[in-house]
Amino acid sequence: MTDIPMRGGSAGASGDAPFDAVSTFERHRAELKASKRVWNMLTLGAFTIALGLSIWISNFYPERLAEGVPRIFEYFATILPDLQWDQLFEGRDAQGNAVPGSITFWYTDFWTYVELLLETILMAITATLLGAAVAFVLSFPAAANLAPNGWAYWFSRRFLEFCRGVPEILLALVFVFAIGIGPLAGVLAIAIHTGGALGKLFAEVNENASDRPVEGITAVGGSWTERMLYGVVPQVMPNFFSYAMLRFEINVRASSIIGFVGAGGIGAELNRVISFYSDDRVLAVLILVILMVTIIDLISEDIRHRFIGKENF
Amino acid sequence: MLKLDKLTRRFGDNLAVSDANLTIPDGQMVGIIGRSGAGKSTLLRLLNRLIDPSDGQILFGDNDIARLKGKELRAWRSDCAMIFQQFNLVGRLDVVTNVLTGRLHDMPAWRTVAQVFTPRERAFAIQALDRLGMAHTALQRAETLSGGQQQRVAIARALAQEPKILLADEPIASLDPMNAKVVMDALRDINRQDGITVICNLHTLDTARSYCDRIVGMQDGRIVFDGTPDLLTNAMAREIYGAEAEEAFNEAATSTAIPTSEPVPARVPA
Repeated sequence: MTDIPMRGGSAGASGDAPFDAVSTFERHRAELKASKRVWNMLTLGAFTIALGLSIWISNFYPERLAEGVPRIFEYFATILPDLQWDQLFEGRDAQGNAVPGSITFWYTDFWTYVELLLETILMAITATLLGAAVAFVLSFPAAANLAPNGWAYWFSRRFLEFCRGVPEILLALVFVFAIGIGPLAGVLAIAIHTGGALGKLFAEVNENASDRPVEGITAVGGSWTERMLYGVVPQVMPNFFSYAMLRFEINVRASSIIGFVGAGGIGAELNRVISFYSDDRVLAVLILVILMVTIIDLISEDIRHRFIGKENF
Repeated sequence: MLKLDKLTRRFGDNLAVSDANLTIPDGQMVGIIGRSGAGKSTLLRLLNRLIDPSDGQILFGDNDIARLKGKELRAWRSDCAMIFQQFNLVGRLDVVTNVLTGRLHDMPAWRTVAQVFTPRERAFAIQALDRLGMAHTALQRAETLSGGQQQRVAIARALAQEPKILLADEPIASLDPMNAKVVMDALRDINRQDGITVICNLHTLDTARSYCDRIVGMQDGRIVFDGTPDLLTNAMAREIYGAEAEEAFNEAATSTAIPTSEPVPARVPA
């Protein structure tokens, strides 16, 4: 401890003076470590119990896993297309029928799928925009440091919690029942969930914003709205944008599932081919969905990085 | 005329400002001095109601500022511009928009939301910037400027408010001597040419002495000195500053006195 070269008063006073800075610090550090140790043990114990319980309840046992895994491959075997090398690129014959074993035969409904994928993406875009708009407005009263009063804070927080607490699929079911089968129900369901989830994230970004510009706008006589628009929004906008793009990626995945309950998008088709045929058409749709999600993710990530990069010079 | 009557502010058990009585005629340049924690900032923030008083009155004409609420309070704040130690500009907005925020109070709501400013308002903002020699930075982001430049933009924002009173909370404490002088000169010009009352918290004594018509000394929340600079004796100043006296008297640290040829007095070790 004493071989660290030190300048100033504490050099040489290694231990014998009870009140020097080093020993005070060491004592404090030891106390802090001891108090943390108890806490760590408690956390570890609680974690172990929770893990044990969840394994027991979900029946996550090795022998069950060993039984189940091969069946996953069995299922995949039933949805594999029966492609023939020599007929792979055969087009349709004179009667307009596709030759079995060709890609054309496998992807007979290709353009239907593409149309539905497009619908899925458009659903995600609309839902993200709607949800982000709600989240934007509510994120200011829902930020502890910016809320105009306790009531506004409480109501906006609870409302956002409700919005993200209800699962999308449940909301979609309700909307399908209320306004009928189709993409509108899906858009509304995803938009509500997005509003709740983004609203919380936006509010947290707002809570990290510096209050100096806000104070500056207060001092020029700005109203609450003006303080938010001029003092906070310029600080938080890049983060809002980044979170909204991330949510868009999530929403593309959500809107490809939500069709299972009739709320539009590729999900309806996926549900149909699984429950009616369970053959190579399932794989045909799955491949397209995975391709779409991957491409959207890549594009969105690129935009996000470019945007952040530009903001930071 | 601004009149403080028994103005008091408590934070828990701590009296930040205690029973302050002060009458400031229009057009005066007042410097408030005192050690850190003496209540200078609290007093200034009470004046434009960034902090609410616990007791007492603030009278401007016949208006009791301490009782204003909502729209009237915002109107008062726009009449009573404030300059901060840390400038409090919106770093991500460009300079001219920062200055234009000084006009927010007079704008209809839809224009503030849509951020639409008229050519006349823009011209007004540019003139305010030009007066402080900052017009060339108008389209730059405020955060790209140096501290001294940011403080000059903050003064331009205050000017855009067309205030009756200008409050400055340690306006030069974060600046080097050169910029400190530029900023203090600008404040004095505004006081002399526009007849705007300037009330300024200052940490260094020589700055207060050379720029202000009147000096108010604070100690532990109370006003312990009020008079012209020549009435403030060294002994009085030493008492106001207490343990921080050496720092406050030392003109080399955060001061507007730029040393020319005479040597800078050596800093007394603490």
